[in-house]
Amino acid sequence: MTAQRTLRAAGLVVLLAVVAVFPLVFTNPTATLFAIDTLIFVIVASAWNMFSGFSGYLSLGHAVFYGTGAYFMAVAANDWHMNGSAAFELLPLAGLVAALIAVPVGLIALRVRRHTFVVITIAFFFIAQLAASNLSVTGGSSGLILPSPPFASATFNNPFYYLAAVLAVLTVALAWLVRRSRYGLQLRAIRDDEDRAAGLGVRTMPVKLSALVLSAFITGMAGALWVYFIGTAYPMFVFDPLFDLAVVLMAFFGGLGTIAGPVLGALVLEPAQQWLTLQTTGYESEILFGALFLVIILFLPRGVLPTAAEYLTKGRAVLARRRERPPGQSPSELAESRGGSSRS
Amino acid sequence: MASHRARFLALGMTAVLATGVLAACGSSGNSSASSKKPILIGASLSLTGDFSADGQAYQRGYELWASYVNSHGGILGRKVKLIIKNDNSSPTQVDTNYTDLITVDHVNLVFGPFSSLLTAPSAEVAHRYGFAFVEGAGGAPIVFSEKLPNVFDVSLPVANELDPFVDWLKSLPASQRPKTAAYPMANDPFATPQVQLAQSEMQPLGIKTVYSKIFPEEVPDYLPNADLVAHANPDAVVLGSTDVPTVASFIHGFEQQHFNPKIFIAAAGPDQGAAFTSAVGVANADGMMVPDAWYPGYPSAQSQAMVKAYVAKYGGTASDVNADVAEAYSVGQVTEQAVEGTHSFEGSKLIAYLHSGKIFTSVQGPVQFNHLGENVKAIAFIFQWQDGKFVQVLPANAKGSVKILYPKPHWAS
Amino acid sequence: MGSEITYAIAAGVLGGGVYALMAAGLTLVFGVLDIINVAQGILVVLGAYLSYVLYRHLHINLFVGLLITVPAMFGIGVVIYWLFIRPLRGSERTSMTLLACFAVALIIEGVLYREFGSNYVSINAPVTSASVHVLGIYLPDIYLYGFGLAVLTIVALYLMLYRTGFGRSVRATMQNQTAARLIGIDVTRVSALTFGIGTGVTAIGGMVYGSISGGFTPNSGYDLISRLLAIVILAGLGSIGGALAAAVFMTTAEALVDIWQPTWAVAVFYLAMIIILAVRPSGLFGRRAVRAQ
Repeated sequence: MTAQRTLRAAGLVVLLAVVAVFPLVFTNPTATLFAIDTLIFVIVASAWNMFSGFSGYLSLGHAVFYGTGAYFMAVAANDWHMNGSAAFELLPLAGLVAALIAVPVGLIALRVRRHTFVVITIAFFFIAQLAASNLSVTGGSSGLILPSPPFASATFNNPFYYLAAVLAVLTVALAWLVRRSRYGLQLRAIRDDEDRAAGLGVRTMPVKLSALVLSAFITGMAGALWVYFIGTAYPMFVFDPLFDLAVVLMAFFGGLGTIAGPVLGALVLEPAQQWLTLQTTGYESEILFGALFLVIILFLPRGVLPTAAEYLTKGRAVLARRRERPPGQSPSELAESRGGSSRS
Repeated sequence: MASHRARFLALGMTAVLATGVLAACGSSGNSSASSKKPILIGASLSLTGDFSADGQAYQRGYELWASYVNSHGGILGRKVKLIIKNDNSSPTQVDTNYTDLITVDHVNLVFGPFSSLLTAPSAEVAHRYGFAFVEGAGGAPIVFSEKLPNVFDVSLPVANELDPFVDWLKSLPASQRPKTAAYPMANDPFATPQVQLAQSEMQPLGIKTVYSKIFPEEVPDYLPNADLVAHANPDAVVLGSTDVPTVASFIHGFEQQHFNPKIFIAAAGPDQGAAFTSAVGVANADGMMVPDAWYPGYPSAQSQAMVKAYVAKYGGTASDVNADVAEAYSVGQVTEQAVEGTHSFEGSKLIAYLHSGKIFTSVQGPVQFNHLGENVKAIAFIFQWQDGKFVQVLPANAKGSVKILYPKPHWAS
Repeated sequence: MGSEITYAIAAGVLGGGVYALMAAGLTLVFGVLDIINVAQGILVVLGAYLSYVLYRHLHINLFVGLLITVPAMFGIGVVIYWLFIRPLRGSERTSMTLLACFAVALIIEGVLYREFGSNYVSINAPVTSASVHVLGIYLPDIYLYGFGLAVLTIVALYLMLYRTGFGRSVRATMQNQTAARLIGIDVTRVSALTFGIGTGVTAIGGMVYGSISGGFTPNSGYDLISRLLAIVILAGLGSIGGALAAAVFMTTAEALVDIWQPTWAVAVFYLAMIIILAVRPSGLFGRRAVRAQ
């Protein structure tokens, strides 16, 4: 066990080191730009997973929080004349505003379950998009332009990269802590059987709601970072339905409810999608992307990591049996390795 | 615990893989163009997604220009090679594309994307790397509000497009002017401002506003909106539309309500040639007006040559050529003149030259930039469908204008 | 003002019929198979393109053309189910089918781009501009047909569900798949056929959508799907008749707000849904409508 733990720690250190030196090794702005977009999705997919993956409530409306954070950033940076690293100080505030919005959204939407919840989150999304294109504070359909960050062009991306990297690491660490905690257990109990969880004394509403609010806080910060990087805020781009789908696909791809799954999903899918769009002209990228998805869904139905872990477990079990020992894993660990998708 | 290790290993491997892919991307285009090599020109266009119809028309415009230039000796003796990347109508992708074009493909020049919505973010990227950003579809006020020194829009600024129409109303004797007008507008940064400006100028002429509402874009049908306008029964309808379907929906709605305005002018839609007549029928197009800076019959030799080349290359008839093609073509022309004028591809020199107040020529007419990069020489025209032909009618005294059809004939069906 | 309200109500009721028609297949698939078919928007658009080809290129009457497009889309639906949805099982099935439907939607969209390009196409048949004068207002023919077809489709689906042996199998499948299997029902076949029927009736919605819209592109499905989902969820799980009521309610509310504040009218559409579901989580017509014998 200690050897494995050391190995894990070493792997983690290597990963962090790669993240830390990446922009120093790959100085081309296109590389760092890909990395920033990817890291932003690592943050959002992990945050989404922290709510939807753990609790089982599939949100297709996280763009509401992303967009709220983004618009807060756009308005505040302009009105308070904050630019450069000063503008980055607005990120926690942007997260806070998104979290505030999540409270009424959650209080209403979390009263219903399953499909109805999904569709209500979509409805909230459209209302938010409409509000952004109608209100004067958001610049209506003309949108808002943010001040240009005063960074040198050669290293322009670096501050955004490191900020995104730090946020990503913190988010994943938080997800890990939540998953290990009693609170995480309560969330999973809700996912497996909410009525039973309530019967066992879990105060479901506060648990669900706080997970949503926490998730919204992080998503809002990511949105604020993104909009400052892009430099413009338009309703149709800031509140983008494809954003929601992308996040969900990433979490599913890697493994819903796991820690590393959404990270893997973002690391693979965001660059893959941008790269596919770059390589192909027009419709081919859509057909390819759709086909790729079907392949994943049909052959890795629980996501890459849980399926891979399952094969590994099976292999191990075979090995163990050969050594005439009882199968190596306890049922609880098996459930864990499947990303806890053992809802019967 | 094994599963955890597997996860982290997988994660690490992916990171390494991704890094490798990026490294490959980063190193692929390092050789910069020598003087014998073709001039690389990069552009990002929306070949899929919301703006794809316009994006593809732009692609044709850029390609027509490039093949014209190449068949006439190139620029500074070098051939031109276009690199066009699809941005899927997304600002994240448009950022990626221009960064990629500039830092990986090492293009010599960049051309603008389609739509102001994508022009604003991409102009910022071009600015970061010191590139001049000549574009034809970024005429919304927000693009110029950024006050970037490298942005040059060869087309007409959108806010004033309806000016010739308002001037014509002024020229009419009071008894012949419409008495009432309706202003339905799509919630859109291009459509709304020009219609609101027209409304504010038409009211003092004694034209009473009977309907003025902004409706959301992208709803599947406009039945209630068209009904309400018809019910207000105005003499003139000034529709702030963005595309053919909006205008077609309103025309169908008006026909259903047996309402026929004396004047029907739409901000966009009737300028789309065959796409428009196919959606509403040739007979119903009669009398429909639209503001624009260019049309396939535009009386200039360059423009006629371009239209001819278009038909030869892509088929169809002259009326299929939409104004996007001419806008894109003009971007190429203006850039070409700036490069020849400075003998340079250097952004700072091109920018200074474009700002110098020099007058450039284009298929859309003369181009001269003010300090914001707006084309101050662009002239707005009003076009009208008459007997299945798309003709220029306003300003009445302008070269090529024919007599306006007023009042609009009744719907055909 | 009074007459404006009359117009708004007329537009709302008729528009609701058209939406119910577009949503009928979605409701059926949702109710019976527990699948959120997010490809419904693009399927409507696919139906519109099929009608467009038949009408504009082969000069076949729009209504006659349904005799071709409905079976064709039925076949497409069965194939989609068989290839991409049938293999999905297990606890995450609901979410995975949602993703599979999205992937299918992407592919259909790409294929439509390939075949038709990204320019707007429009059907523009004479029926789209005609209207009848009733009680002092003009009612557009195409919407009346749309409403009529919605009612016919719903009645036909009801008869199929409650008056045929196949319908009994479908209902058994809907209530309890395992039990249905035990009494000898081929659940997979019933499910595939149901998905096919849901897709097939969408061809009718597609024809009407194509006719009322001023023009459409492969991208148009995105504007439809959220509204269709909202209608189905508001109606309550699988209530086909309820979908008509829900659609009429929402489009009428929207049309009324449209008189004063068109920009916010769409928000009313979704707000109404949110408020009702917050009070009545099972939707307006709940499960009972389908479950009742």
